[in-house]
Amino acid sequence: MHLSDIVAGAELPPISIPITLQRLVMEAGANRDLSLMHHDTKVAQATGAPDAFANTFFLMGMFERLMRDWAGPKARIRKIGPLRMMIFNAVGDTVHFKGVVESVDETTGTVTLDMWVESQRGKTVTAKAVLEVKG
Amino acid sequence: MSEPSWGLWGTWEETEQHLGKIVGQSVGPDPVEQGSIRRWLEPKEFACDIHTDAAAAKAAGYDDLVAPASMVFTYGIAPYWQPGDNSAQIDDEPTQIQIPVIFDVPAPCDKSFATSVEVEFFEPLYPGDEVTCTSKLVDIRHKELKVGKGAFLRQEDTYTKQTGELVAIAYLDIFRFVAVQKEVS
Repeated sequence: MHLSDIVAGAELPPISIPITLQRLVMEAGANRDLSLMHHDTKVAQATGAPDAFANTFFLMGMFERLMRDWAGPKARIRKIGPLRMMIFNAVGDTVHFKGVVESVDETTGTVTLDMWVESQRGKTVTAKAVLEVKG
Repeated sequence: MSEPSWGLWGTWEETEQHLGKIVGQSVGPDPVEQGSIRRWLEPKEFACDIHTDAAAAKAAGYDDLVAPASMVFTYGIAPYWQPGDNSAQIDDEPTQIQIPVIFDVPAPCDKSFATSVEVEFFEPLYPGDEVTCTSKLVDIRHKELKVGKGAFLRQEDTYTKQTGELVAIAYLDIFRFVAVQKEVS
């Protein structure tokens, strides 16, 4: 993808992914955040969550996938955030990662994105990001 | 198994003493390598050959196969156990991810949660790279929320390679608080 192909308001192809306990366990083992509320229902519920819930590293990684799937291998991810978590993404939820181009800066070759996560609980997470796109 | 704790107890004066100071440093035990990258991509169903194929990564302008940018957090986490450590017992408190502003900075609070994270990326991570994370407490803002009274603590995490090159700087906002007691009717 080239910078000249990108316009403000363009939507990134969304990604839908179900949150299962198996996925959370695989994720915790792979990203090394072994905090209990991300794989132990009882501990998660003691914090007010409906069930074990996705951790920050998973959300960051999924936003990276959303950007990479759209922008291709040559784009450089320069910034993610502020990423704000408002509602739990818990076992049993299917979550939808979405994004839109907020602005394009031709002088720096960067694109600012507005991204978010939705589930049946509403908008659960929001995140900004900056990508560098050559050409 | 005992209940997990939600932060080191202390006074706000003790919290203030840590402001502007390094509150923790962790050295990731594993260098960047293809197997850990593949296992990280797997639960996200993330297919991108710059993370799995050196030739594809070089064609995209990288020096070698490159780790996903946000994987820097994973490579900076200290081991949960290493040779010389005690063997975990059934009654031990479970080990959680180490967040210094919670576990090493005292505050008069018994609950905490992360509210926001922001990260800027610099040098890419390549196979063989080793990551160190240095954490500093950079801000304390007292606040009363619905869940209780406490403060937002901002942790600045600087991730560097074994060469000293800067990989990422992350800011993590944690709200530490004492939960509001629910009235029993």
